[in-house]
Amino acid sequence: MSVRALWVVSHEKGESGKVRFSRRFPTVEFRAKSLAGTQYVAVPEDRVIPQLLLTELGLVDPDKSYVEARDDCARQHRSPAVELRLDGPGGRTLWPVLTVTQGVLILACLPLVEAPPVPRPPLPSLASVSQGLALLSGLQDFLCGPGGKPESDVLASRLAALPSVLLQVCPLGRPLDTPPPAGSVPASVAPSPGGAQKQPAWKAGVHRGRAVVSVALTEKVRSMQYSKNSQQDIWDVYGMVMCKCEVEGVLPNVIVTLTLPHNGSPLQDILVHPCVTSLDASLLTACSVDENDGSAFSGPYKFPFSPPLELFRLCSYTSQVPVPPILGSYKLKAEENHLKVNVVLKLHESVKNSFEYCDAHIPFFNQNLMGSVEVKVSSGQLEVSKEKNLLVWVLGQKFPKSREATLEGTVHFSGTVAGPTDPLCSGLTAYAKLHFRVPDLTLSGCCVDQHSVQVYSSAKPRIVTTRELVSSEYYIWNSTGDTPVSSGLMVL
Amino acid sequence: MTDLWDQRVSAFLLSPSQFLATTTTESFLHELLHELRNDKTNDQFKILLVSVLLEHPTILCPSASVGEETALELLSVFSHTPQKSIVLKCNVMLAITSVIICTSCLATHTKTAEDWLDLLFQTIQDTNDYRCGLSQQPIRATACDCLREMETCSPGLISQKLEPLYLLKQQETTVLHQSYCLLYTLGLKNAIRILTNQKDVTDLEFKSILGGNEGFAWKSNPLELTLLPINMLVQVPRLTQGLECKELKSIMSSLLEESYLLTPISQSALLRELVEVVAMVPGLSPTLFKSQLLRLFGTADVSLMHATLFMKEMFTDSLFTTEDENFLLKRLVGTAQHPLLRIPEKLFYMECILHFPENRPISSSGEESLPVLVTPRLAASLHPTIFNDSATMLCRLNLLCLVHLEANEGEADKGIGFLIDHIMALLKIVDNDGSREVVVTSFRALFIFLIYFSGMEELSKKMIDKLCNMYSRHSRLAPNLIGLADRIQEHLDDPVWSVKLLRGLQKCIIEMPPLQLTIHNLSWHLKVLKRVAKEGQITQRNTIYLLLNVLINSNLCERGNWRLGNAVLNVCRNLLEHPSIDQVFIELADLLQYISIQYDDTDIKDHARFYYTLLTNLSWEKLMGVLAKSLEGGRAKERSHSAIMAESEGIASNLTVHKTNRHVLQLIKVQEKATQSSSESSSESVEATSEVRDWFEVYQGQFQTPGFGSEVTLRYNLTHVKETDPLFDKVFTICLHFELKDSNYAKVSDIHVPCVFRDRKSPEVKVKLKPSQPYPTSLCVSAMFTTQDGRSWHSRLPDVSVSFPEIFLPLPLPPNASCECREQVFERIWEATASGEPDRSAISLFCFKLEDERLADLIRTHFQGFLITDQQSEGSWKVLFFLPPKCHMLLKITQAEDAARVSIATDNWELLPFVNSYLQNITDNCSSTVTDG
Repeated sequence: MSVRALWVVSHEKGESGKVRFSRRFPTVEFRAKSLAGTQYVAVPEDRVIPQLLLTELGLVDPDKSYVEARDDCARQHRSPAVELRLDGPGGRTLWPVLTVTQGVLILACLPLVEAPPVPRPPLPSLASVSQGLALLSGLQDFLCGPGGKPESDVLASRLAALPSVLLQVCPLGRPLDTPPPAGSVPASVAPSPGGAQKQPAWKAGVHRGRAVVSVALTEKVRSMQYSKNSQQDIWDVYGMVMCKCEVEGVLPNVIVTLTLPHNGSPLQDILVHPCVTSLDASLLTACSVDENDGSAFSGPYKFPFSPPLELFRLCSYTSQVPVPPILGSYKLKAEENHLKVNVVLKLHESVKNSFEYCDAHIPFFNQNLMGSVEVKVSSGQLEVSKEKNLLVWVLGQKFPKSREATLEGTVHFSGTVAGPTDPLCSGLTAYAKLHFRVPDLTLSGCCVDQHSVQVYSSAKPRIVTTRELVSSEYYIWNSTGDTPVSSGLMVL
Repeated sequence: MTDLWDQRVSAFLLSPSQFLATTTTESFLHELLHELRNDKTNDQFKILLVSVLLEHPTILCPSASVGEETALELLSVFSHTPQKSIVLKCNVMLAITSVIICTSCLATHTKTAEDWLDLLFQTIQDTNDYRCGLSQQPIRATACDCLREMETCSPGLISQKLEPLYLLKQQETTVLHQSYCLLYTLGLKNAIRILTNQKDVTDLEFKSILGGNEGFAWKSNPLELTLLPINMLVQVPRLTQGLECKELKSIMSSLLEESYLLTPISQSALLRELVEVVAMVPGLSPTLFKSQLLRLFGTADVSLMHATLFMKEMFTDSLFTTEDENFLLKRLVGTAQHPLLRIPEKLFYMECILHFPENRPISSSGEESLPVLVTPRLAASLHPTIFNDSATMLCRLNLLCLVHLEANEGEADKGIGFLIDHIMALLKIVDNDGSREVVVTSFRALFIFLIYFSGMEELSKKMIDKLCNMYSRHSRLAPNLIGLADRIQEHLDDPVWSVKLLRGLQKCIIEMPPLQLTIHNLSWHLKVLKRVAKEGQITQRNTIYLLLNVLINSNLCERGNWRLGNAVLNVCRNLLEHPSIDQVFIELADLLQYISIQYDDTDIKDHARFYYTLLTNLSWEKLMGVLAKSLEGGRAKERSHSAIMAESEGIASNLTVHKTNRHVLQLIKVQEKATQSSSESSSESVEATSEVRDWFEVYQGQFQTPGFGSEVTLRYNLTHVKETDPLFDKVFTICLHFELKDSNYAKVSDIHVPCVFRDRKSPEVKVKLKPSQPYPTSLCVSAMFTTQDGRSWHSRLPDVSVSFPEIFLPLPLPPNASCECREQVFERIWEATASGEPDRSAISLFCFKLEDERLADLIRTHFQGFLITDQQSEGSWKVLFFLPPKCHMLLKITQAEDAARVSIATDNWELLPFVNSYLQNITDNCSSTVTDG
């Protein structure tokens, strides 16, 4: 259960890769050597690592259309682990190299293979693999933070801090913990009082100060709407509960309860944070893979746990809701040199008509740049970005009383300069993408009642609960054009 | 200073081999340790230095003895580091542990390893942390980690110390309890595993491991280092039945109860150790884990979920009911597509589905076969979509292909239909000028699909039509299509699909309207036709017509583009080999004749005429013989026929230089017979006094001549390595090429040798080295040569290392210079360097113990050619090494009472580490050298 080496490689456009950080674990290498015997392949020097990694990830020679070593169709990239070919095709290989790519950064580690090396053992039989994955995920959060794209000086300072982080979480190649996410230092922490109760290893100290428990429930809704008989519209909802508990005590107990309205469909695929102490078996029974038989457990969902100091994701779930919050239709008609556009959006009656924002983005690909735009909207405003061939329909905070809004008109493409391209959106294949956020609403009806949060601690804490609905990948496809096949939730 | 070290350390870490070309490991190690002992430098800087030893202990400590010395040095650094320098101390501890383990000090049970273990154990027992409170905690945590690593590398080491470890674990209430818990559990598991090697274990013996409180188990250590963790890939060792397990059971329960307090990664490690223990002890029931299962079933953590699957694999139905099993699998499918998990984790879960350990007896391990429980219905949600990233898409596609391959007919047809829709959607994106990544991913998807379903008649026709259709619009896809045909042919025994595709492509090219046959597209088409011509099952008449047509009806012949002409000939070359050539004999002859007359490029014309001659004069069998021989690499004569032909595999094999990864030749240093003595009889030489010349000036004057004294000539024998292919027994026209590994030497010119035969005397080669810095170096040598069959080869030779003494030259003075002259020059240089001229000068001293006669022997053996004066009777010698381009190393050796003193003067202080290690070396081995001499 160890990793042999760890790398952080960056590759900026047009430059070759560069090792930004690396760490080797010689005692693990020593074991690797004796475990693999004659099959042992040593880890090459850092100088050659970027090229090897980038070749496997298909990132070398971007200007060449076909390079066999990179593009061979029989080399399958469908596993979290790649093999590095040290002497070109047919030569020695280093396996399994786990990689995570984020922006220009590639994080990679080489888990120890504690199994007979020939024939190559399946990944799930190697304990080090999941530990390596967890380590890389932790590193990713540590280096990139919640935004995902740190400034170069911020990144540099985080890289500089890596050696001391690794000293704690992976001193001799054996992961003990994941690095703390960037910027997650809790406010007021005192060292553990040191009584009879053992301090959890995932909690550096105890909270001191005002007791506050905040529970934020966020639901995201995805949708693909086609307005066609041949193609079923699909949508789904997933939610997560983020908690921050500033409560005194070494191992305080907190219970958060999620409830559904009495006819709500059950929460499915529930995943919980490791700090949850016990789970009722019935909570886990509903699964999106199963058919809904209506008899499933539908709450209340109790999550007893002892909180860590930092903000954490207590649980996540998916849910199947009967209708999408906004039903749209999109019709395009091509006429000489211009397109006739018609978009209708209907807000479902069960959804609160009070948005923080609601925009529809309507891009036009594979056309020349826009000329004149004669488009009217029944509600909200229209913004036109001619250089991006994009219409942005800002619906604002409210749909009109009728709960229906229309966009209609013609767009001319008179320019001679080609606009943005997209291989997916050829011909009349086109989409409108919705972005919206509704505070204090969930589609599943799931909620955390402030009074249902129980905290077993000396001081009575202030309890804050919030909920929101946010769109994510919410597409409405043009019904007059071909639709790209998407079989997300297809029923066979 | 710090900046310089910063650069040096990062240069070393980037490439130890390149870095060490400019210095020796000994001197670098020496400098590192020296800096570490320096009290004035700060912690941060020292941590940087320690990192070098921490990451590459085996490079810096090539032997166990150096390892032990280094560990001792680090130990002294550790004990001299002030208590507040916690981070530095932890780093040094890790470095010591790494050095001790990696240089086999632990395995060979050296004193240092023993002391270090004792110190570590004392550290973890000192729960008051030197009464310094919490700040010292990291030291104890690190000590636990070090012990755990040592126990892993030498299993059983702490097996007799389980009682104190248990108490420590129980007492600890700070976050450190995790470290103690993991150390204890590992020790417990290894102790039990040792017991499983024993035949009849009594209750007492079994009990005694839990209560063990003795020393480290050095000798009673029967476990190999290459110990695999217990899993289904290895046989599970088991303890004797019927042992009393009450105490162990309660220990296990308490470990499990507290597992919640560990970080998820450490929890997963702990659970795995405990699973191994339960698997080995028949008295323990897997149901121990039952209480943890519900918590684990719901976990979002990948390592905990993985540990749960490990339990499933080990205990199957003794812990998991059929319901549990169904539930777990459904969960895996759910997590494999969960919108909130990361892509690598989801890919991993999909691998877990493919290798899901079912309660049924496991058929064959390793093979990617689908669990019976994964049905099309269950897997429906893992259907690939074009919105997936490419790895996810390919992974899902592969899984779904497996699912539908196993499914019953009705269901499968529908499912396969969906997969085809998906692939068609992908191809549509490619058709709309998708990016390179999309093209590559789509062809990979095609490959996966075809591997499973290429046998389905209707399907494959549909797919081929689509591909050909696409090719007619995007001829740049030619290499992808050819690659697909090749790979499918390789992976399936039945070449039908590939042949169909190629036939389709041929038809598509032939039917193309002439307007589409632009020069640019034509080169792609010719590539495809060349590949098509290789298929015996495809008739080639239309290909030939097309070529003729294009050549006659376009201006290609007049333009005389060599590349294109060659591409046409490539097709012809493959056509010549086609089995049904007699059916198109006349057409092909026409084509070749037309090219040989009309094409406006002499080379192409000649080739075409040659093919024409072959075609019209040889029977097909002979023609095949000529063409085929070139592939197998027959004798040189036959080769020359096909060598004139256009590029093809045959010709490529003869014109390209073959590469062999094995060594064929090697350079062996010629052992110099006694170096010619420099102290020739003085009567023949010019008397210094008589000419009253200033020999030093004469000496200096010589350097005015460009290139004077700048070269070292090393002599080697070029021989075969011991075992090579008989093919290489006679090699000709060898060209040796030298690559320098560093910038300390000028480029070495190539050396040509006519031939090397295995059974003849090996030729001698002289390698001339021109140093700019006279450091030891090593040369990468490669050789190009020809074998008897006329093929050319490229092969690496073993690296040639040039040691420090090999660069020594005697003082370069005219041969007539007398001893006195030499001594005069010696003294002048000595004076200058001793007074610090030039400014890189330095003096040093080296002492060693040796008996009188031995010293004289030593000097004779090693310094003979370099002696300036030899006053053995007085016990004093002067030695001068000249090192090109113009460095001097002067030694005054005197015999003191019980030791020999070597005073060293040099005009380049950077040579001192090398001369030191050289002297060390020859004085260490003097006993053997004496006997040799």
